[in-house]
Amino acid sequence: MAEGSTGVIEPFAFLSPFVDAIDFILHTREAQTGTVNVGGLSQALEFTWEHVKLSGAAIGIACAIAVPLGLALGHVGKGELVAISISNVGRAVPSLALIAFFVAYVGVGFTNVTLALVLLAIPPILTNTYVGVRQVDREVIDAGRGMGLTPFQVVRRIELPLALTTIFGGIRTSAVNVVATATIAPLAGVLTLGDYILSANVYGEDGRLAGAILVALLALTVELVFAAVQRLAAPRGLKITA
Amino acid sequence: MAEALAARGSRAGGSASPVEFKSVTKRYFGQAEPAIESLSFAVPAGDICVLVGPSGCGKTTALRLVNRMIELTEGDILIAGESIRARPAAELRRGIGYVIQQIGLFPHLTVGANIATVPKLLGWDRRRIASRVQELLDLISLPPEMSKRYPAQLSGGQRQRVGVARALAADPPLMLMDEPFGAIDPINRERLQNQFLRLQSEIKKTILFVTHDIDEAIKMGDRVAVLQKGGKLAQYATPAELLMSPANAFVEDFVGADRALKRLSLLRVRDIDLWKAPLVRVGEPTAKARAAIGEADLPHPLVIDADGRPIGWLSDRDLASDVVTGTPDTTASPLVELDDVLRDALSDLLQSETQYAPVVDESGRVAGVLSIAIISEFLSSDDAAELAVDPAERVS
Amino acid sequence: MFLPQAIHSFAQVQIHERSGDSCIAQNKICPGWIIDNFDRYTHPLVQHVYLTVVSVGLGFAIAFSLALLAHQRRWLVGPIVGFTGVLYTLPSLAVFFLLLPITGRGTWTAVIALTAYTLQIIFRNVVGGLDNVPAEAKDAGRGAGLTDRQLLWRIELPLALPDIIAGLRIASTTTVGLATLAVFAGAGGLGSEIVAGSNITFKTGVVAAGGLAVLLAIALDIFLLAIQRALSPWRRAQPA
Repeated sequence: MAEGSTGVIEPFAFLSPFVDAIDFILHTREAQTGTVNVGGLSQALEFTWEHVKLSGAAIGIACAIAVPLGLALGHVGKGELVAISISNVGRAVPSLALIAFFVAYVGVGFTNVTLALVLLAIPPILTNTYVGVRQVDREVIDAGRGMGLTPFQVVRRIELPLALTTIFGGIRTSAVNVVATATIAPLAGVLTLGDYILSANVYGEDGRLAGAILVALLALTVELVFAAVQRLAAPRGLKITA
Repeated sequence: MAEALAARGSRAGGSASPVEFKSVTKRYFGQAEPAIESLSFAVPAGDICVLVGPSGCGKTTALRLVNRMIELTEGDILIAGESIRARPAAELRRGIGYVIQQIGLFPHLTVGANIATVPKLLGWDRRRIASRVQELLDLISLPPEMSKRYPAQLSGGQRQRVGVARALAADPPLMLMDEPFGAIDPINRERLQNQFLRLQSEIKKTILFVTHDIDEAIKMGDRVAVLQKGGKLAQYATPAELLMSPANAFVEDFVGADRALKRLSLLRVRDIDLWKAPLVRVGEPTAKARAAIGEADLPHPLVIDADGRPIGWLSDRDLASDVVTGTPDTTASPLVELDDVLRDALSDLLQSETQYAPVVDESGRVAGVLSIAIISEFLSSDDAAELAVDPAERVS
Repeated sequence: MFLPQAIHSFAQVQIHERSGDSCIAQNKICPGWIIDNFDRYTHPLVQHVYLTVVSVGLGFAIAFSLALLAHQRRWLVGPIVGFTGVLYTLPSLAVFFLLLPITGRGTWTAVIALTAYTLQIIFRNVVGGLDNVPAEAKDAGRGAGLTDRQLLWRIELPLALPDIIAGLRIASTTTVGLATLAVFAGAGGLGSEIVAGSNITFKTGVVAAGGLAVLLAIALDIFLLAIQRALSPWRRAQPA
């Protein structure tokens, strides 16, 4: 692929684009189209922040909808087929089609994309919340009811804490999916890190690779953060091993 | 069924190998005390040897050493004189029947395929396997159609029998059984134990049998090895010797304070003299019933059907009508089998609050009547004092 | 930065079509257009199927082998789950372009990225399925004289089949969805009908392409479920 200065193909020649990409992140340069400066840390941070804002909003709203719904359904024990099927269908819908559909019907803009991402984020959270609640030991719930807890208190004090790990697992999966999909948000006018990738005619190949690296790092970070939160969220009593 | 078993007797009397434990020791890494220390005993071919003891005594470990599910640390185990280490483990196991408490039928295979496991491993041809499967289903009293069913469709007792059939499929000279009746409810356990002993009288295999239940040990074993913690052999003797001369305080304790009552496990209903009941068939004139009373040992006529199977006892009210009814006031339960041990028969009688129970043979035909009076009479007689009944003769 | 304006202007570009400009101009969903122009979807659909089947197949081959390896050496499970987890977390779009300097543009890049994505779910389901085999069946099998290998192939894997296929179903439905992004790696697929040529605001086109993807996912799901049912007759047997 790339040749070294001595004219011999170096074994690690494929690394040089990555070096260029890192350079792109750190220093500004002229755009391919020639009119403005692109690259550099501040732009990278700006896009990252937009990416995080978008993802965060979507996850937050999705949680606000899916967790109470899942708790309610799980507590009552109804709607299992729906809760599981939603997840299966949700997995089958391509994120690109979803975004494109929203652009076509609802238009471009932050709110609209957030809406699309919320739809994407709900299924794993809903399913995991439902399953998490159903897996709580029946006897514990019975004991709670026997002690005089109202259904709402049963949910809040027994089912929710015991299902927390599973619920957070669903939120974690959703978060990673949303971060990944937010990469194509530029198609809908929201400039996230994906813009580096999708508008390579502006940012150049270095920019495109830089975008890929940054998105990958962001996704990994989100995963690690949520993994840590999931571990911390488990009630202490459950973590004590015999 | 009886005819089928008799015909098989000539063929099934085949292979049985003696087993010998020679100073067997098993040590687990990181544990100070060995699980089994220098265990030695010998089981003659064709005998059932029961390993019994409190939990943790090493009886299951000792059993699993024989087919190398656990490997020995020191000593050796000989099967028909050959060390178990002589052949690769998988090959060794194909010559040993293995029955475990949870049975472990393969859920994804039909009953027939389960039974055919070892023959398939040994490379038998399809026809031979198919006929062997049918033979075994017959042996365990299951209809031929069962071979197409799946384990999930069987009851617990049926699964247990299939497990035994699977172990017997390749006609191994040795069988290992680890609490095989442990997962069965107590009511059916008795029946399965009797069935198994009938089977053993036919096939006469060498069997190593593990149980924690001393009553089961006494009922099933030709010889009993009582193990203490660390796999130490406290006593190795026939059940009768165990009951009459326990070797030490541990054995005495383990056997239990009701040793005298346990002696009832050593005898079967067929071993004692039963009373003769006045028998009448449905539809016969009641005058005949009244006449029959005179010749019998008890004053209550027993109604039997055309095959000789008991239906119920005639009450005075029943006798008042002209013809023997098909639905007498008192039904014929409990039914006691000739092969039942006296102890189980007595407990059945006591539980049902009746005085008398009809005794039936394998085909369900009346062979006599058992009562509590008969049992207590027997216990106080001279015959009972002997009780050194030859183990080989106990099951016949 | 400049993309949305570009899209809007391109939406006016004439698309090769046979039934009236009305569909594009009014931008409604017109089933008639889909039927008339269906042949423009056949090639992307074939590409899409190819991408999915190859990626899931390859992913299964790799993950299954890893699971068999980890079956005997349990200590491998953790590291493999972790490593495949990283592959799962990386957004496919990013992976396309991370691979670009190494593997170039085209189908192969997309396949590698899609395969990597399936590894974790398949691995976990194979390992989980094997773990769920009842211990007494394994004990009885070993006691009957089955070697470790015979035990694995005749007892453990058949019993683990439902879990394994469940993993394959999840993997294939997600891969169908992700393969729509393969267009960005230059590998075609149904995504090309959503994005390339800038028809992203063309509602009918989007619905057609997206709908086909969903149908494909459902078809694969049903197909795998049917295979599982056919291969595990014992699960249908009702207790007597």
